[in-house]
Amino acid sequence: MNLFRFLRSWEFFLVVLLVVEIAVLGLINPVFFNAENLLYATLDFTHILFAALPLTLVIITAGIDISGVSIMGLASITLGLAWVAGMNIFVALAIALLVGILAGAFNGFFVAKTDVNPLVITLGTLFMFAGLAQGMPALLDKLGFKAYGSAGLAAYQYEGITGLPDEFIALTEGTVGIVPYPLIAVLAFTVLLSLLLHKTRFGRSLYLIGVNPKAAEYSGVPIRKILVWAYVLSGFGAALAGTMLTSYFTSARADLGGDALLPIITAVVLGGADILGGSGAVWGTLLAGLILGFLRQGLLALGVTSDLIQVVVGALLIGAMATKQLVHVFGEYRLNRKALFRRNGR
Amino acid sequence: MRSFLRSREALVGMLFVALLVVTGLFNPNFFKPESIVEIFNASLTLVLITLGEMFVILTRGIDVSVGAVAGLAAVVLGTTLNLGWPLGLAVAAALATGMLAGAVNAVGITLLRVPPIIMTLGTLGIYRGLMRVITGGSWIENLPQNIKEPNLWNLLGIPFFVWVGLALLALTMVLTLRVRVARYFYAVGDNEDGAYLLGLPVRWTQFAAYTLAGLFAAFAAVVFTSQIGFVSMNAADGFELKAIAANVLGGVSLTGGVGTPLGAAIGALFLTAVHSMLIFLGVPGIWDNAFAGAILLAVVYVDYRVRTALELQQRQARIRGDLWGGEPS
Repeated sequence: MNLFRFLRSWEFFLVVLLVVEIAVLGLINPVFFNAENLLYATLDFTHILFAALPLTLVIITAGIDISGVSIMGLASITLGLAWVAGMNIFVALAIALLVGILAGAFNGFFVAKTDVNPLVITLGTLFMFAGLAQGMPALLDKLGFKAYGSAGLAAYQYEGITGLPDEFIALTEGTVGIVPYPLIAVLAFTVLLSLLLHKTRFGRSLYLIGVNPKAAEYSGVPIRKILVWAYVLSGFGAALAGTMLTSYFTSARADLGGDALLPIITAVVLGGADILGGSGAVWGTLLAGLILGFLRQGLLALGVTSDLIQVVVGALLIGAMATKQLVHVFGEYRLNRKALFRRNGR
Repeated sequence: MRSFLRSREALVGMLFVALLVVTGLFNPNFFKPESIVEIFNASLTLVLITLGEMFVILTRGIDVSVGAVAGLAAVVLGTTLNLGWPLGLAVAAALATGMLAGAVNAVGITLLRVPPIIMTLGTLGIYRGLMRVITGGSWIENLPQNIKEPNLWNLLGIPFFVWVGLALLALTMVLTLRVRVARYFYAVGDNEDGAYLLGLPVRWTQFAAYTLAGLFAAFAAVVFTSQIGFVSMNAADGFELKAIAANVLGGVSLTGGVGTPLGAAIGALFLTAVHSMLIFLGVPGIWDNAFAGAILLAVVYVDYRVRTALELQQRQARIRGDLWGGEPS
């Protein structure tokens, strides 16, 4: 990419924003200049990134997947139940991720097979997956299987399935140098998705489907297959997020991630993806997720309540979109003026 | 087209009645008038929010902030009442809050051109945050008795608020089916550019839709505050998604321009009744969401299959040159 284009790109703007943000927060509270603290703070929001990164691909196809927040809880409780059933914790982890993939495939199947708005479909599965996650332990318990773990029902309702083994907890506690494992996983996931998006036929087809599904169909793009895979990736990301949170909170719960919907979609949209499809990049989502996460951490450190932070994040989302729209309108206006002027001058 | 619309409402209506009957067969207690009235009473909040959301969806928009608007209006109602405002004035303040919150959405969407889902997702966070900022995060309790009284009034054994809900439903029915200006919602949702070229006030219609959604959310806030007698910080949490689900279930299409208030209300009634029915069937309430989601998916999928089969039939009939088959059936 040529340098000039990069300097004018949305991603570059986000990089600048991130640097400025950390600088401002650091000047107010020097703790933010400590790299170790900064990297450790990301643990509080890596689950947002895990879910938001693959969601970018879905939004590029002009779709949306709001069921991710329920898949998080479903994956978490699956992991817990499999472990309670006596499985090795890593086998349980694999099963939880598989459940995420299946849940995503379920979404993808309905999106690809029907012309129903993806929002409606994932709204239905949002309720369904959340209900399954809540109901499964109760059902298994009724069947005589001690689903609630050794501590029983009361403890389960209060803190979920606890007592998970140390080697699983270490997945989020461990670091390479000063970089926590989850952050490394997020970066690897970003690189992988980015390669997929920009260097493969699959990735380019996602954009084509988002811009013009008819054109994609007539040029022989296997739309249905590609859509299913996009939702599978989104489900997988949400399951990663759910299991990561399980390890971080050291307990498996059905309601994990329930309040993550707003930050996840904010990260994707602020990252430059067009909600109407056809544009977006995972790097933008990564940067926007980091900006939002550090903003939250910074405001919390400054003593701002999390309620007020919600207001700030909401205003930021609207402000960013409004600015983008106004810039767009102004750009069109300028082009129109230019065209008019050229004709009159002749 | 008209009869096709009716068939979607009929589909959900029939499914609803069938479920009621099945539940009744399993547990005869279910058919007591009290249980039925109780279902109506419990569904009122969702019905009102759903009706407001309907206007937005008709214009091909979406509003995911209605639950938060209801919460905010309830907080305003509770706070003003505890400040000693008379009931009428406090209710008016709550309704004005709802309309204002809706109007803010409308400004962002019509004037700043922010996509509806982004705008209302943003205000969802903002209104929820404001709620807690106003109250400091604690519940509003010890409300004066006058707000709880209307909930106890009843006429012919049917609670006052159910009558209010029915009146509002009838009003929106008449409005959307008989009043010219209200038909603009359908026109704008069906074909925005077409409506613009016809000289309809497209932006104002959208503005009105979001403001009405806010107003109806505030109506719901007044109802549930009276019903439960306090305002929790989770008030109406998640109702935005339920309201959308109820609309879709009732045949209000997210692609705009299709649907009626009756369908939307049946959808909302259905979603609430699932809870009562499961309890009467002996299934723990924990399964509510799973059933609601599965029913939504099933209805949407069946509707898709029926629709495509009908279209195919019509096309084949046209090809055969059968004039009667060519007419939309």
